Amino acid sequence: MPRFFYQKLALNNLKKNSQTYRAYLLTCIGTICMYFIMHAISVNEALNQMSGGTELKVLLFFGVIVIAIFSTIFLLYTNSFLIKRRKKEFGLFNILGMEKRHLAKIMFWETLFIALLGLTVGIISGMILSKLMFLVLLKLIAFNVPLAFEIPFSSISTSVALFGGIFALSLFYNLGQIQLAKPIELLRSEQMGEREPKTKWLLILIGAISLGAGYYIALITESPLQAFSRFFLAVLLVMVGTYSLFTAGSVGILKLLRSNKEFYYQPRHFTAISGLLFRMKQNAVGLANICILSTAVLVTLSTTFALYVGVEDQLRNRFPRSIEIKVYDVENVDVGTIRSQAFSILEQHDLQPQESVDFRDLTITVAQEGDSFLVGREYFSDFSPNVGFLSFLNLADYQRIVNKPLSLEEDEIILCSDNSYPYETLTVLERTFTVKDHSAPFTGHLDSFNNYSVIVKDLEILEELRQAQAKVYGESASSFTHYLGFELDSSPKQELEIYEEMRASIGAPPISIKSRAAERDSFYMLYGGLFFIGIFLGTLFVMGTVLIIYYKQITEGYDDQKRFAIMQQVGMGQEEVKKTIRSQVLMVFFLPLVTAGIHILFAFKMITRLLMVFNLTNVQLFAWCCLGTFVVFALFYGLVYSLTARVYYKIVSV
Amino acid sequence: MHILEVNNLKKVYTTRFGSHKVQALSNVSFSVEKGEYVAIMGESGSGKTTLLNILAALDKPTSGEVLLNGKNLAEISEREISAFRRDNLGFVFQDFNLLDTFSIQDNIFLPLVLAGESHLEMNKRLLPIARQLGITPIINKYPYEVSGGEKQRAAVARALITRPQLVLADEPTGALDSKATASLLRLFTEINEQGQTILMVTHSTQAAAHAKRVLFIKDGEVFHQLYKTSLSTEEMYQKISDTLTTIATGGERHA
Ligand SMILES: Nc1ncnc2c1ncn2[C@@H]1O[C@H](COP(=O)(O)OP(=O)(O)O)[C@@H](O)[C@H]1O
Ligand SMILES: [Mg+2]
Repeated sequence: MPRFFYQKLALNNLKKNSQTYRAYLLTCIGTICMYFIMHAISVNEALNQMSGGTELKVLLFFGVIVIAIFSTIFLLYTNSFLIKRRKKEFGLFNILGMEKRHLAKIMFWETLFIALLGLTVGIISGMILSKLMFLVLLKLIAFNVPLAFEIPFSSISTSVALFGGIFALSLFYNLGQIQLAKPIELLRSEQMGEREPKTKWLLILIGAISLGAGYYIALITESPLQAFSRFFLAVLLVMVGTYSLFTAGSVGILKLLRSNKEFYYQPRHFTAISGLLFRMKQNAVGLANICILSTAVLVTLSTTFALYVGVEDQLRNRFPRSIEIKVYDVENVDVGTIRSQAFSILEQHDLQPQESVDFRDLTITVAQEGDSFLVGREYFSDFSPNVGFLSFLNLADYQRIVNKPLSLEEDEIILCSDNSYPYETLTVLERTFTVKDHSAPFTGHLDSFNNYSVIVKDLEILEELRQAQAKVYGESASSFTHYLGFELDSSPKQELEIYEEMRASIGAPPISIKSRAAERDSFYMLYGGLFFIGIFLGTLFVMGTVLIIYYKQITEGYDDQKRFAIMQQVGMGQEEVKKTIRSQVLMVFFLPLVTAGIHILFAFKMITRLLMVFNLTNVQLFAWCCLGTFVVFALFYGLVYSLTARVYYKIVSV
Repeated sequence: MHILEVNNLKKVYTTRFGSHKVQALSNVSFSVEKGEYVAIMGESGSGKTTLLNILAALDKPTSGEVLLNGKNLAEISEREISAFRRDNLGFVFQDFNLLDTFSIQDNIFLPLVLAGESHLEMNKRLLPIARQLGITPIINKYPYEVSGGEKQRAAVARALITRPQLVLADEPTGALDSKATASLLRLFTEINEQGQTILMVTHSTQAAAHAKRVLFIKDGEVFHQLYKTSLSTEEMYQKISDTLTTIATGGERHA
């Protein structure tokens, strides 16, 4: 045998199959490059120098894991597609006298060439781009100090190990495929599997119920914590629903249409229905994959985008005042001294406290059930959706803050909350109050979800409540706290200085001080980091979607080639054939996108509730982010469609 | 009037790069009368499929003309050609060309659906044809579920259901075993006896022996022809074999 026989043959094969292998190679390069970048950034030494860097690293590491998992899935999927297409070719080699171990050698070399090319180009482009991406990340997390970025060696070695492993796995899979099959089967394998699909009523039922249940959960969920605990259940249900309805439901509907003879035996419906029937059978899973991936892209991008854009909102919701001082032991600490100490620090900076708020309150952990608030550990676990806080303060403090004369009876309260509280009364600790004002414009010391500030008549009632809850909670009961908060009209830098000074002079337990400026960095770190990962995963998912679409088009093209020719022989015009095919392809193609859009619509409310957990309450902002991502994604999808459709027509009209 | 008239047909294929030319047909002329059963014989590569494709207006001749019922195929516009083909011609191919996404019944209906026939009319036409071709039991099955012989009979049914002027068959027995071949050929004779005009190209002597007239093509021309008249199929078989031997040894032409 001539020198380099197998190597040459392997190269030749790749060239011959370049139409399919080009896309595969591009995917390899793309995933390797993305994995490399994410890894290189996540393990980078430079991040250790910033505060909160370790948390960011954990977040990025999570990104690395997700990329690794999805790369594996995508590449194995693509490989299985490629080998299916090529079984015939290998069957022919086999019949022409090449033994299976020779085939194995050829495959080994093919895989090696692809792996070498993919890893080299992927890693080199990763090296080039990771520096840039690192700068993008720093920009996103609003970190303005330049950091040196070095490419860690471990990124190269793990990339090689991971993707080398994936390539090896693909090779083993392919070898197994060849080993198991008889040559005749290899030659024929492409024509198999053309059985008429059966209607699986049970699966349709399961799918409809799951999807309905998933949508229902998403729609009825009102509280953010509920959304948090139910989100994954809803996602799971919708996924099950999508898969079963795409596979069984589509077949069921088409068969129903087919059983209507008058409808079915019309030129336009006839070919479309039967064509779609078989097409759905082969592609339903692929389409469901596309649908799920598209939904994932849309959710990931729109939420991380909204969280990032709304970061200042969230910061303000979470920290309504520039500086917040809480005194936890009002019996033994003189609040007046603390206040004057704090204000004298402001004076040294030539600043006045703005919109200063100063009150004593009692905060009780409660479980809300309608208009009654249950107190006691037995009513809630950590993730109970109805757990929240009631912050009680007395009318005197409140009047001072809002600067208005008000009056309350013994059993009357004023309720301050963003959430509308629909009930006329409020029952807590065996006392029932009448709500005199439902939505007083006042922000206490709690953020807005599930929490209410409650104004009662006087200190006596506060004391009674304190004693009542102390009986229930014993050791861990709350006591009075004093809150002092104010806005500052200064630069963030000065705010930070003031914060540090206050912490040094008065910030020891039982006194805690919080500053919005000090938290801003960690907010940007978190949401910038999340958005960064969102972009990466979004890109990865889009790549996966494109890939599946591309290969589906090619497969269908080859399947339709023969059909196209036969129909013309039987008397269908060129134009008619084209029209039929176009409408079928269009439908198959945009079904996942439309379904993804519907999923998002149903999920919208639930996601807004989820975002509230992160203190993002701006629903309109999120709506715009969703719409924006969807439009961009749809444009991209359409572009991919028209590009791959061209490949398809080329194949079909041979 | 002839149902089909072919005059001086010539077909030259130009390969993709234009450098190489293949002359598939050089000068073919013949005619077919209504009710005839004509076989065209020739070796593999002699241009039989090319000829049939031109007769079916699936391909255009380099020169020459084809008249179907006196109408020149070249004069039919591109838009009308599919409908014309559907209404006047029926096809039977070597590899059946059934669509795997349709049941046998729907495969047979295909040309009628394309012609916009009502479902009632389709059923009415299908029944007698299915009975004659013996495919009634398999009518609801899919192509992959039935044998080659059954597939070919389904294809014949599809060709006949439009009641075409002319049935064109390209090596219809090429992919069948001997039993299925015999039964298909018997069927062709039967259909022909009912008045259907059939033109079949084949390189099988057995198939050709069933036809009423056999044309031989060689080097892209009609080389010779035989009439069956009162001969039995066995005698015809012998005569065709003799002719083929003569052609192979380079005998004179008697067109
Ligand atoms: N599309 C084509 N392009 C170029 N040459 C062709 C084409 N189709 C057929 N030929 C050539 O024309 C000749 C006749 O082919 P064909 O009509 O298929 O013969 P038959 O059906 O008798 O076996 C052969 O030499 C064949 O290679
Ligand atoms: Mg042929």
